[in-house]
Amino acid sequence: MRKANQSAESLLSPYFEARGWRAFDFQRNTWKAQAAGRSGLLHAPTGQGKTLAVFLGPLADRLHRESLDPKCPVACEVLWLTPLRALAQDTLRALREPVEHLAPHLAVEARTGDTSSAQRARLRKKLPWCLVTTPESLSLLLTHPDFRNQIAGLKTVIVDEWHELLGTKRGVQTELCLARLRVWHPELLIWGLSATLGNLDEAREALLGSACPGSATISADLNKELIIETLIPVEIERFPWAGHLGTRLVEPVAKAIESADTTLLFTNTRSQTELWFQELLEARPAWKDKLAMHHGSLDREERELVEQRLREGTLRCVVCTSSLDLGVDFSPVDQVIQVGSPKGVARLAQRAGRSGHQPGKASKVLCVPTHAFELIEFDAAREALARGEIESRTPVSKPLDVLVQHLVTCIIEAPISPSDLRQEIQTSHAYRDLSDEEWDWALAFITTGGQALKSYPQYHKARLENDHLKLDDKKLIQQHRLSIGTITGDRSVSVQFLGGKRLGTIEESFITRLKPGSQFIFGGRRLELVRFHKQTASVRKANKAQRGHVPIWSGGKMPLSNELSHAISRSLHDTGPPSAERVALQPILSIQQSKSALPSDDTLLIEFTRTREGEHLFFYPLAGRLVHEGLGSLVAWRLGKGSRESIHITQNDYGFCLTAKRGLSLDARKLSKAFDSNNLLDDLIACMNTAELARRQFREIARVAGLVVPDFPGSKTPKRDLQTSTSLLFEVFQRYDSGNLLLLQSQREILSKQFEINRLRLVLTSISERPLQLIETERLTPLAFPLWADRLSATLPAGDANSRLEAMLELLNRESPQPD
Amino acid sequence: MLSITSNPSLTLTDSPGALTSSGALIVADVHLGKSATFRAKGLPVPEGDNEQDLGRLLESISRTSATRLVVAGDLIHAPAGKTPATLSAIESFLESCPVPVTLVLGNHDRNSGPLPADWGIEVVPCLDLDGWHIVHDPAEASEDRPSIAGHWHPAIRIPDGKRTSLRLPCFWLRENSLVLPSFGSFTGGQVIQPLPSHRVFTALRDKVVELPQSLWG
Repeated sequence: MRKANQSAESLLSPYFEARGWRAFDFQRNTWKAQAAGRSGLLHAPTGQGKTLAVFLGPLADRLHRESLDPKCPVACEVLWLTPLRALAQDTLRALREPVEHLAPHLAVEARTGDTSSAQRARLRKKLPWCLVTTPESLSLLLTHPDFRNQIAGLKTVIVDEWHELLGTKRGVQTELCLARLRVWHPELLIWGLSATLGNLDEAREALLGSACPGSATISADLNKELIIETLIPVEIERFPWAGHLGTRLVEPVAKAIESADTTLLFTNTRSQTELWFQELLEARPAWKDKLAMHHGSLDREERELVEQRLREGTLRCVVCTSSLDLGVDFSPVDQVIQVGSPKGVARLAQRAGRSGHQPGKASKVLCVPTHAFELIEFDAAREALARGEIESRTPVSKPLDVLVQHLVTCIIEAPISPSDLRQEIQTSHAYRDLSDEEWDWALAFITTGGQALKSYPQYHKARLENDHLKLDDKKLIQQHRLSIGTITGDRSVSVQFLGGKRLGTIEESFITRLKPGSQFIFGGRRLELVRFHKQTASVRKANKAQRGHVPIWSGGKMPLSNELSHAISRSLHDTGPPSAERVALQPILSIQQSKSALPSDDTLLIEFTRTREGEHLFFYPLAGRLVHEGLGSLVAWRLGKGSRESIHITQNDYGFCLTAKRGLSLDARKLSKAFDSNNLLDDLIACMNTAELARRQFREIARVAGLVVPDFPGSKTPKRDLQTSTSLLFEVFQRYDSGNLLLLQSQREILSKQFEINRLRLVLTSISERPLQLIETERLTPLAFPLWADRLSATLPAGDANSRLEAMLELLNRESPQPD
Repeated sequence: MLSITSNPSLTLTDSPGALTSSGALIVADVHLGKSATFRAKGLPVPEGDNEQDLGRLLESISRTSATRLVVAGDLIHAPAGKTPATLSAIESFLESCPVPVTLVLGNHDRNSGPLPADWGIEVVPCLDLDGWHIVHDPAEASEDRPSIAGHWHPAIRIPDGKRTSLRLPCFWLRENSLVLPSFGSFTGGQVIQPLPSHRVFTALRDKVVELPQSLWG
């Protein structure tokens, strides 16, 4: 704690004066809290000087100490954690600027997965005053026995974009690393930077763990003006009612782009990005060199080039996904366009904040609907923002795969007694209520394999010696280091030209569906797959003459958030002066209203319609696609019990539809029973192919827990003896160690990932208390139509592999009786 | 069981394996001691597959009334897998095994070192039996005579739905050379791309069925 005689502000004033700036209140408040030795969380929209607020406090502290003792030695005092290594270079630039001005002798360096080995070796010898790194790299540093000594002078850790980490396993990994650092440095200051969230207190608790009491939450809410406008289609009657790939508004969008200097055009999926890039190029061929694309799968070099040109202001428009949501300051951007519903309130605010990046300037976003109902979503999002209804992010609770990985990390650094280690782990928020059973299991997992009576024969990893856990096998240590930082999503495959130029990565699940010779669009190029071998898809430029079906690969689609769906229900029933969006949508809403009703939060609207295909029940809980998928399967299963009719299910963000040849009806008693909130978990597990889904989820868990040997860098052939697939491992565990907690974890994770189980439970409870509004309609209503139109991609409740194969063979036999 | 050829004749069994005219049961890629290999390298994988797999083998021998057992390679996974537990499981299998056992050497067997002489297993690089040439690696089988091999762990992908597919271990008959699916339960599979002239079979519950080309083509 610093004596009050020299305030941070006066120490920093030369820098602010040189730039002609004045410090904001929230910046001064942060410096005060830091000087008083308090940790905390600072939240603000982007572009608000958050970086300077948290970073200059520690710098002022350093300046203060130097003013007392000019020879005070320079050691590593500040760790800056960034969630994206792509952000590290920008962060370096931002941090170095004030340092060069105020204390040029202090070094700021980065160490991430992208850092060259020469630079890494230099950093191994001596760390700079401030080190910028990622959670994975920090974990890795924690395995080195000399790291503890190197950061003996550590005073502050800053976690940037904490909202991005919160709610992920990487966030938990960060929590565990921070717990370690707190044990080494009880006085450590920890500061998080976050976008505005619905659960800021919880976010701060997760960041600070047991050090949370006495900490500060500082808001940089400068009442930045946010203008949300919508591009209203001229002929709403002829505007599509469904689909997310509609590009009908490309001409007015091109005009809007012409009206600004630099535009960021956000889409929701990578396939949309590819599509809009193509369409805009076709609409304005002259923009060939001024139009770029940016998404997470493109190669890093290509992305960095786009970012650099954005900063220079030499691009007219960048079509992008959430890959440009984060951090980086692109001052030249003066217009943001959002194509399609952002599906969340916070996301729209964040994206809007990419324009007018300077403090004080208004942020503006132009929303472009891809189908008619998105108009109401834009209206609702604006309403929700005005009311401050922002989504929360729920922290992940005690994932055991991350725990066992971190335990090994700690043991490699230095032997430690189990009780000390447990105490340290439990100072983190994620593991604060770790049970004896879970702890014993985790310890057994890294020492004997299974639990007490079922220990695995000849298993070697960590061992217990004199009440200390030890691991000193060099190979195992190397193996572990390689497996740190594998907490990633879908398995990706490298895409490269036959000549060798790398284009980026693509989901394995996409590429395995293509046959050699088939075409796809990636990175704005039409490509032909030549072969897929050893995690590399070799491609060549496709022959343009060869037209035909070109699959555009897709990235993830987000479900409608809880906050936004409530806002939609409110917007639909709002009786105040209508917004432009509602006026435009009115013709369609009127049809819906006259044939049926508008769905709402207080009732559950169910429509029944007959078409040539059979009978349909349409349900509109307004709860987001994932919840509807779970609900649809559940209700289909419960309604179909005892009947041999198969029921097909389709779903979107507003509701779901069940289709069957016969047997569906508006039977109020049967329907309310189908929405019974009892036995949810058992019924879901019974009706969904949860075993199959859990098997897929196990892939990630097995990797994090160290069950899969990572490939050594440079060697493309994995070690033969240890080659296996995680789905095979899943089966082995299920057969011979079915109580293994990692199996339970995969089931838990898949339920929350696939169907947002907690939200589903809440929705079901709420539905079972709402009155049902049952309406039989002669024709499909505007809300029903999109669900019906999706019927080709309907899902059938799945069985095990044997039954599915039997069903297929039977079908074949029926269709074409084979001659004997 | 499903008879797939007549000259020389061959019947496929659901274990999975193949039965020749004289009643020799041929299986491939058992990979005993694989989970022990993993444990020795610091990966906590439970034990249990050895005994289960050897039990299945005994059962299959008695159900098919086989006269001899031929393992077409990769009986043992790796040297690190030759733990006392693995070895004693094999020994007790041999004690109850009513028929002579022949091992056609596979790449994993070569790495794992020689088998104990008192096991009485005949070890050969390849074998000619009832008109079939039996080797481990299909690449070493000549095209001009009928052959049976393993090594590839073939599996077939069958689309069933818009974005889902089944992946099943399969028998792959290419003209007159057959590749057996792997026998061991802790073994993976490689997805194959058969040509229209090939035939593909899989074990379905306790039968073997042919998968028509319309399912995989």
